[in-house]
Parts: sequence; C-alpha cells; structure tokens
Amino acid sequence: MVQINMQQRELTLKIVFYGPALSGKTTNLQAIHRLMSEDARGRLMVLDTSDDRTLFFDLMPVFFKSESGFTVKVKLFTVPGQVMHDSTRRIVLQGADGIAFIADSQIEMTSANNDSWRNMMNNLKINGIDPASIPIVIQFNKRDLPGTRPDNEIDEVARKGKEPIFKASAISGKGVMETFEGILRLTWRTMDDLYDLEEKLQVKEEEFINNLLRKNTARPISNPRLDTEGRR
Amino acid sequence: MTGLDPLASNGSSVLQRRFSLGELVDASSFREVCSSYAELFRISFKVFDSDGQLLVDAKGNRGDLCAYVRQLPKGRSSCTKEVTTIREKAMAADKLSYFDCFTGLRYIIAPIKHEGDALGSVVYGPYRPQGVKMPDLAKLDAKVNPETIKRLQARTPAAAEEVAKRVVDHLVQVIEVILYTGYKQILTSRLHFEAVTSSYEELQRKNKQLRDSFERLKELDKLKSSFLATVSHELRTPLTSVIGYSEMLMEGLAGKLNEEQMEYVKTIMEKGENLLSLIASILDFSKVESGNLRLARKLTDVKSVVNEAMSTVIPIAQKGQINLISEVSSDLPQINMDGEKIRQAIINILGNAVKFNKPGGQVKLKANTIKVPKKIQKDDLIPAAFAPPDESFLQICITDTGIGIPEDKLSKVFDSFYQVDGSSTREYGGTGLGLAISNSYITAHGGHIELESERGKGSSFTIYIPMETVP
Repeated sequence: MVQINMQQRELTLKIVFYGPALSGKTTNLQAIHRLMSEDARGRLMVLDTSDDRTLFFDLMPVFFKSESGFTVKVKLFTVPGQVMHDSTRRIVLQGADGIAFIADSQIEMTSANNDSWRNMMNNLKINGIDPASIPIVIQFNKRDLPGTRPDNEIDEVARKGKEPIFKASAISGKGVMETFEGILRLTWRTMDDLYDLEEKLQVKEEEFINNLLRKNTARPISNPRLDTEGRR
Repeated sequence: MTGLDPLASNGSSVLQRRFSLGELVDASSFREVCSSYAELFRISFKVFDSDGQLLVDAKGNRGDLCAYVRQLPKGRSSCTKEVTTIREKAMAADKLSYFDCFTGLRYIIAPIKHEGDALGSVVYGPYRPQGVKMPDLAKLDAKVNPETIKRLQARTPAAAEEVAKRVVDHLVQVIEVILYTGYKQILTSRLHFEAVTSSYEELQRKNKQLRDSFERLKELDKLKSSFLATVSHELRTPLTSVIGYSEMLMEGLAGKLNEEQMEYVKTIMEKGENLLSLIASILDFSKVESGNLRLARKLTDVKSVVNEAMSTVIPIAQKGQINLISEVSSDLPQINMDGEKIRQAIINILGNAVKFNKPGGQVKLKANTIKVPKKIQKDDLIPAAFAPPDESFLQICITDTGIGIPEDKLSKVFDSFYQVDGSSTREYGGTGLGLAISNSYITAHGGHIELESERGKGSSFTIYIPMETVP
C-alpha cells in the first residue's frame, strides 16, 4: 500500500504487473527499463530460472524528486505467471496500489487470461484489497503475433468494460509506455482521491507523470542497455 | 489498501521493507574490500550509514600529519570541529561534494544510493590536493615545528582532483553493486521463506478441510448402515407373517387347497423365503458395516459347524445336481470362535460354489489344521534364531468345478454389492453381499480368505482362522 513518510518527505507506490504465464510481464518491465532515462529508474532485478521463467518476481524502481522536495518512488513488480507459484503471487500482490494486467492476445490463450484474472481477484481478496476499487488497466500484449484477437473485438471489449485497455507488443516496446502511463495516472488519481496527495505533497498529476516517464534519449530503442539483468 | 492509514504502516512483507546499509552488506567482507581499496590507492576513507553510524574505517596511509596536529591542544579542538562538520555533511549528502580541512588536506563526500535513496555516504580522504598550496600551520600552536609539518605534508598522498573524483565514483559504484547484490539476496531468501510458509499454511488449511469432510462422510456412512439395519428389521417382521400364514394355508389349517391353489401358495412361500434371506444378508452386512458386529466366541467343535453348513446347502446342491464332498480331519480341536458366524461364512462360500456350478459338477470342502511361519515385516531384521514360532490355523478349503472368476475381478469379489456379472441380464441372482459378509466374519476372527480361480475350471476359497483355544 501507498507509503507516505512526511518526515523524510517520501512517497512510495507499488504497481504490480499481473497476468498468465508467458504473457510478457517481464518483457514489459524490460522495455520500460530500456525506454526510460537512466536517472529516472533503478536497476532491473530479474529473478528467473535457467529457462527464463520468472521464479519470484521482477522489480524495478522508478523515482524523481518533486519541486516541493518530496522523493516520489514507484516500485514496479511482476508476479510469476506459472500456476504453481500462487503463494509468491499473493505475497507480491500484497499492498499493491495499482495493477497492469498483461493479457496474451492470442485466441488460444483466452482461457489462460481468464484463469489468471480470477486468480488475481481471489488473491486481492485474500490480501484484503477490494478488487472493485484498486486501479487496474489491461494490456493486450503480443499484437504482433498471428492468431490474436482482432483489433475491433478488443475495441469493443474496451467500450464495455470499466478498465482502460491498451494494445501492445512489448518485445518491440510498442504500447508499453502508454500502458505504464495509463496505470500511473489511474493510480495517482485514486490515491489522490483517498489521501489528498496533491495537497499533502504539493505535487500535481502532470509533474508526477512527466517525471516518471522521463524517456531515454541517449540510446535507440533497438539497442537495449547491457547493464540490465535482462533475459537472454 | 483502502481504509488503512498509509502514514502508520510500512507493510508486512519483505517487499515493503526498507533496509539500512548495514543490513544489506556482510560487515566483515565489506570491511575487507574497503581496506584493500584504501591500500591500493593509499588514501583512507570512511563509510557511514544514513544515521551517521560509522560502518567502515579503511586506512590507506598512516595519517601522520593528522596525528601530529591532534596532539596539539588547538589542533585537536579544530580537528574535532571539522570531524563533526564532515559527519553532518555526510549524513545530508545528496550529491558529491568537497571539504577542505584547515590543514590544507581535502575530503570528498559522496552519497551511496540505492533505488534513488541515499543509504549512506563515503568520506574519502584526507588527501593532499595536487597543485594546491598548503597553508602555513606554524601559527596553529607555538609548539609547532615548521620542518616537521612540511615533511608530514609532503608525506601525505597527493591526488589530482579529477583522479580523486574518478576513484570515489568508482568506489561508490562498487559499493552500490554490493548493496544491490545484498538486497537481491535478502529479497529472494526472505520471499522464498514467506512463500513456503504461506504454502504450508494453505496445505494445513486444506488438510483440515479434508479431515473434516472425511469425518462427515464416516458419520454419513454410519447413518446409512443404521438406516439399513432399521429398514431390514421392519421389512422382516411382516414377511415372517406372510411366510407363516402361507405355511398354515399349505398345511390345510384353513381348509384343504386344490392343486393349483397349493402351487400358488408354495410360490408365495418360496419367494417370501428368498426375500427373507436377502433381507437377512442386508441386515448382517449393515451390522458389520456399522461396526455393530459382536463375536460370541466360545469353544466350538469345528466338525459340527462344518457339517451344519454342508447340510444347509444340500437341498440346492441336489436341485442343481452338484456332488457335495466333505473331508473333515477327525482330530480337529475345539476352537474359540463364534460358531454361528463361521457357519454363515462357510455357507455363503458353499452357496456360491453350488450356484456358480454346472449340473454334474462338484463342490469339495476340506477342513484341517495347518502351521504357517509367522509373517515378519521386511524391515524386521532379526536372525532366524529369534524368529517367532509358527502360527496354527484352522484351514477350510472349498473347491468347486464351476465357472470360475476372471483374473481382473478376483480382487473385487469381496467388495459389498459386487457381482462379477453386474449386467441386468445376468444369469445368476443375489445381492453381492455373501462374500463381503464372509470376509468380514473371518477378518473379525483375525483370519483371512485366500482365493484362486481359473475361468471355466472353477474356484478355490481357503479360509484361515487362527487357532485360539484359550477363551
């Protein structure tokens, strides 16, 4: 949950990338790491097995110092998608302030998406988080692959549901920052409504968003940084 | 999330915790690395955590100039003041800064950052900044020897500003990597522990649910058996009247019956008796299942039990043209058992042997005693000398020349309500309770039944009852 330390002038938020196994949660985080300015983020910690499956979680902090002197930090986590790691998923989900649900666009993965969503709802409840009020955005990833749900179908779903929906191809970085911005905005607004952050911290939504989305201009997207612990 | 006060809680999981510099490093290894670094560059440095606690004091040179100055009263007070200022600067460090001491020597103060937070700082120095004129310390105290000061100043390692900054940047980078590695190690190990604990608790919960539902099922099973017992009893009472009155009719107590009437009443009585024996079986079995089976053990003559059983099946054997043979050893002792139950167990097996036979077939019963070596558990590694004595059993073997039992059904024939041919068009009737009841009775005596069968050739059931002669 959001941590506000008025004495040390710090705000820490937690955003979790949830979704079925192999839907591209880690790839999203790697793309954010690659696309963001080096001084806006920390190291990307990837804890995986030799076959590149997330074992515990991935973690990357993004942060900035506000004009009012507050250190604002957002910790981005991914959960392990494999069914057997449910207890780890539950722990990682503890105290989440916002969720980016990374769905796999491939038609054959529809039931895996549904299972993961139900699992998330259940784990939220177990953690004492109200699934109806926590900010959630949905990303349909792997738009570049064949056999995916067509755009018009996703647009139709987006119109019906309450969660903002983004389309992405995380492997190339397309749509990743848009999803990230989506969940950052929704989380900020929800937390601001609850805790009056703008008043307390003297930070406006645009300052929050613009600073956390500082882009990496030094390197082209196709040349990922080598200091990540990214997957081979 | 909602409803909780974010100002009050820091969360419970390791993922929500903030770690201090001291928690993220292995203190002695960290000191070793820092010492070798200081020796390499011959410049001392200190590492403080964010609370100003000194974690490392790595000496790169003897610090003779400082030692000399500190022994002078005025020098010591100035030095103490400078140290306090440096420590304050170290605690507040957000970016790299310089501090020049009154001795002319220089310090570099650099923050150590982790996830954007300053977890501590490095105070690098003192060193002699290259190309900078050293102050005259002669005025510091009357006792100062200017020659000594000059010599000690010259002996203090010098560094160009750019070089010193690069060394500090590199040092901080190394420390940050060490912190990151420590952080990663703490997160994984503690999260692993949390995950295992959580899985364990979940398993415990599920085990309890399973245990509870098992108890509930046992309870329901008991209810079922007691229901069966009650219903069977209620059915038997009116049936006894049906049979009794039929008998009276047949005996002509209500007037002489003509042939046709006699035939009908005979059928009523026969079917009534079939139904009665069926109900009796269900009643017996429900007693066994509900745990109400009580053995009335007493010293019993085996031969008479066997003979009674044989005589019970003689009528059906004759009807089916089956030859009944009995070979009972004449020296059978009296056995402490429930004669009634054993007789019933034998009748059930004999009944099957006759029922599933062909006209002209044979059923042979052989009863004798046998000594069998006591079964020893595999892991009971005792020498033959200490092996327990052989066990004596009453062995009753019933062999028939009937239709036999297919191999894949052998293990199921003792299950309740099981029929080898379970189809609705099956040739042989029955409840499928006979063998289950026999098995329960024999097991209740501490014995067991062995079965061999060959399809089309016949079956052989062997009952083993431990010889327990003392009541």
